[in-house]
Amino acid sequence: MQILRETNLEALKLAKELGPEKVLQILEKKSLVGRGGASFPLAKKWKLALNSKKKNKSKEIYLICNADEGEPGTFKDRFILKNNPETLIEGILIASYVLGVKRAFIYLRNEYEFLREDLENTIQEVIKKSKMQNKVEIEIVRGAGAYICGEETAIMQSIMGYRGQSMYKPPYPTEEGLWESPTVLNNVETLTCVAQALLYKDWNPNLRLFSISGDVENPGIYEWELGVKMSTILDTVKPTQEIKALSFGCFGGIMPIDKNSLVTTETICKEDCQHGAFTIIFIGKNRNIVDICLSIAKFYTYESCGKCTPCREGTIRVLNILKKIRDRKANEKDLEMSKELSYHIKETSLCGLGQSSTAHILTSLEHFKGDYMEYIKK
Amino acid sequence: MMKKQEKKGEKKEDILLNILHEEQDKKGYISVDAMKQISTKYQIPISRIYGVVKFYTMFRTEPQGKYIIELCGSPTCVLNESRDIERFIEKELKIKIGETTKDKKFSVYKTSCIGCCDEPPAMLLNGKPLTKLTIERVKKLLNELKKK
Repeated sequence: MQILRETNLEALKLAKELGPEKVLQILEKKSLVGRGGASFPLAKKWKLALNSKKKNKSKEIYLICNADEGEPGTFKDRFILKNNPETLIEGILIASYVLGVKRAFIYLRNEYEFLREDLENTIQEVIKKSKMQNKVEIEIVRGAGAYICGEETAIMQSIMGYRGQSMYKPPYPTEEGLWESPTVLNNVETLTCVAQALLYKDWNPNLRLFSISGDVENPGIYEWELGVKMSTILDTVKPTQEIKALSFGCFGGIMPIDKNSLVTTETICKEDCQHGAFTIIFIGKNRNIVDICLSIAKFYTYESCGKCTPCREGTIRVLNILKKIRDRKANEKDLEMSKELSYHIKETSLCGLGQSSTAHILTSLEHFKGDYMEYIKK
Repeated sequence: MMKKQEKKGEKKEDILLNILHEEQDKKGYISVDAMKQISTKYQIPISRIYGVVKFYTMFRTEPQGKYIIELCGSPTCVLNESRDIERFIEKELKIKIGETTKDKKFSVYKTSCIGCCDEPPAMLLNGKPLTKLTIERVKKLLNELKKK
């Protein structure tokens, strides 16, 4: 797997030989984009932060490595943290060198607390070997079980010692982030790719990590090129029963499976949903989609940060309607109500969490209404 | 606008989440007295500390059991019958999710995805993941822990 290739501080050495500008040019040429789901070009983000610093030279740039991988069904960052942490730390050091960062943070979700000690040791070892002890400090910030802290403004609030609630944008983090300074936020996979993309001439920008789980024999982390055929994925992961639907984490929505589709950023969900970070939960034909939706709705009720009303109150109402449906006490009017409420939450919530908190309802009502009707009073 | 942070906030020791975790590592939970001490030491208003502790689900404000079980509630675990395990644990320990046994041995919680979707169903036992759970395995585990 490309993501497991080690760079052994050679990438950092090369970066220092080339200088920051040349490194940015190479990363841009290699089309490295963020792997958190938004696919934002990495070099562009770094340049935005550097430009902010040019405007206000007294500010330093902070770097955050987002290891708060909370999307249900996603475990690719855990895979990297466990199997190739040295290359990740090297990526952080390269970013620190290019951006002039003195203080970098790894925001590690507390569910991955069992990885912290080894990660701490790796940080110390790699920094020592790189001889950058006096130049940059990498601190682990321990998350505490809030999914919203994967969101860029919430994670910064959390690091600064506040409730992890999302904030209005602009200003964007690259303008005003941690302690009102320009801040660059990249996730674990992206920063690992930085070192690999820089060092290896044959580095392939189209490879993506897929977190596969659900009704399959071989769940796990896979690396495929964008545009991989869905049938290829199915042949590899081996469904345990006929698959009728795909759930892209909780965030993405539930879609019917099309074996001939090509999995790319644009085609996987069309306009109905978002794929996030290539998380696929396969759902077999013996399952009722309403049961899956219920567990997703519980997740959002639990994880809403409580700041804006549509998300805070709406997610509870949606959950209550779903419970009513599951208990066979609902009628078709309740279905209409859940659809209307879902649109309202999607359109009026403040951040990405709220806006996507009803994607599962809207997509499943469109594609799997029959599953709902099984529970509806006749 | 981002909230303003005092200048002193830029020192290493001022990452509040880490300070609170260290307190919880020592005592198992964060008492109001501990919050007051942190407030005085780091000059952070007690109201803010309390707000932060209450916001994050993995901070506890009450004494906890010796063994903290956090059951994963992700869709993948639900597809793999995690609800049966949940019901079994509740029945076996005679407590509901979110409660601690009278002998202070077990606290049981449900958590969002713990990132073990390749080996479901899964849970954390004092922070360590246990995967591919079955009722038999959980029964054996609880019996062993009860004896300790």
